[in-house]
Amino acid sequence: MKFKKLFNRIESIRLEKVTKRYGDRFAVRDLDLEVRGGELMILIGRSGSGKTTTLRMINRLIDPDSGRVSINGADVEDFDPVRLRRSIGYVIQNIGLLPHLKVSENIGLILKLEGWDEAKIRERVTELLNFVSLPPESFMDRYPHQLSGGQQQRIGLARALAMDPPLLLMDEPFGALDPLLRTQLQDEFCKIKKELGKTIVFVTHDVNEAFKLGDRVAIMDNASLVQLGTPEELIFEPSSELVSEIVDSKRKYRHMEVLKVRDMMQPLDPGYFLEGSLPAEIALQKMVDGGLEVALVFKESGAAGRISLNEVLKAGKTGKNLNEISKPLLVFPADASLFEGLTQLKEEGESMALVLEEGMPAGLLFSDRVLQGLI
Amino acid sequence: MVISAEILEATLEHFFLAYTALLAGIIVAVPLVLLSLYSERLASMVMKFSNLVQAVPSFAVVAVVVPLIGIGFTPAVIAIMLRVLLPIVKNTYIGLFNVDPALIDSAKGIGLTEFQIIRNVRLPNAYPAIFAGIKFAAILANSIAVLTALIGGGGLGSMIFEGLTNFNTAKILAGTLPVIGIALFLDFSFSVLERRLTPEYLKNDI
Repeated sequence: MKFKKLFNRIESIRLEKVTKRYGDRFAVRDLDLEVRGGELMILIGRSGSGKTTTLRMINRLIDPDSGRVSINGADVEDFDPVRLRRSIGYVIQNIGLLPHLKVSENIGLILKLEGWDEAKIRERVTELLNFVSLPPESFMDRYPHQLSGGQQQRIGLARALAMDPPLLLMDEPFGALDPLLRTQLQDEFCKIKKELGKTIVFVTHDVNEAFKLGDRVAIMDNASLVQLGTPEELIFEPSSELVSEIVDSKRKYRHMEVLKVRDMMQPLDPGYFLEGSLPAEIALQKMVDGGLEVALVFKESGAAGRISLNEVLKAGKTGKNLNEISKPLLVFPADASLFEGLTQLKEEGESMALVLEEGMPAGLLFSDRVLQGLI
Repeated sequence: MVISAEILEATLEHFFLAYTALLAGIIVAVPLVLLSLYSERLASMVMKFSNLVQAVPSFAVVAVVVPLIGIGFTPAVIAIMLRVLLPIVKNTYIGLFNVDPALIDSAKGIGLTEFQIIRNVRLPNAYPAIFAGIKFAAILANSIAVLTALIGGGGLGSMIFEGLTNFNTAKILAGTLPVIGIALFLDFSFSVLERRLTPEYLKNDI
């Protein structure tokens, strides 16, 4: 069987009015969901919420009773399920490595069925083992039972990547690991996610995992989609009590790693900015006229300064300009994590910092306001 | 010398009878079970029939063949085959069906066809169980092949029954000792084979 991938990149995956029922119970009900090409979409919810069913309808392990699932506009029902699945990587919690096959045979199974020659398979397996940080020479010939849980999970990922699919479906891949190992694999996965450049749909019930890995998070409950958004949107604008409970938005400080400086900055009135080259004398006049107690200076280099009315007054007629007498102000890019921002404020003993969006001042971050906002 | 030639001949006949039947049993049982992977109705029918034959005493199975297909070598083969069907069917069934669902799920998920799943997942998983079934069936076939002498199957059974009717101890022993020898040889050789064939990952559990 000569194999051609059904798609080389994912533009979008669309589920429209998708329903699946088992007897009287709806597993998924009237679901509309769009996964954008290149994103990592998390499906999160309690058990029985329909998240796994949703995932499995994408590679046709389950066919919906009604509605349409399409990839790049083409209905998946029109694809041969086997060809479809070979174009999509699939990783599950139990991994499912075949116990009677060596690691290299497990990873290369589909390649072999696809008729690749031995040398090429070996080369690809070596490449994949390196990618998942397992030295090929010592892992190739092991059997699954000789591997730890974390190693098995890596092999599971390597196997899913064997055909270099543009889309990965992952069903609680780290769910069975102990917390330390899970964190480690999540961190690694975060890194390789960028290298992979693949579209990923990822099922989990762990909200920390969801926010750590997900570009967007779809919260499911009772067979339906409850809310879809970025982690920040879910934390700050939960659409219901349930979402708020799931993302624990009442205790936002839990999410400091996820939140960005941008999410907690205060908007900035451009009127606070004065030219750095202004002599103190003229600046004083401007500040008095404008009713400003404090002014900000923004330098072309990207640095910033802060100066109070008092200080301008003291500098008086020395002839110095604002650049010289202002005190340096911390500057953060808007997409820095809130956690880093707060840490730096604390280290420097500062209470505020200027936030830059694409190099231009966009807002201010006040440590006390942030803390209030997080509680 | 006449006696020993006779014993040798009977032993060979016995062997041939038992193992034709065993082979027939395997050829019938394994495909039946493979087919029942696709049909729950067939699966339940196959299991019910095999259990039924198992529940009937061996002697009755041998006897009931006679009014149906008469006497001779073929009816004897069929009687033995019917009797050894169950251990093979049952073990093959257990081996093929008791596969970790996660294995099937992931195999399907990465794009194996139904046939490839049987070939690459179910069968390798079932080998130890199938083999244990065949081992049991082989020993069973050996002992039932003695009974089928009554319906003209020949072999060592004929010698034993002749010996019994004539109170000829030598003849009884000439029949029974090879049967016992064959049984021991089977048990031993199958155990060796079993160790050889057991996949690497199961060896620690034995």
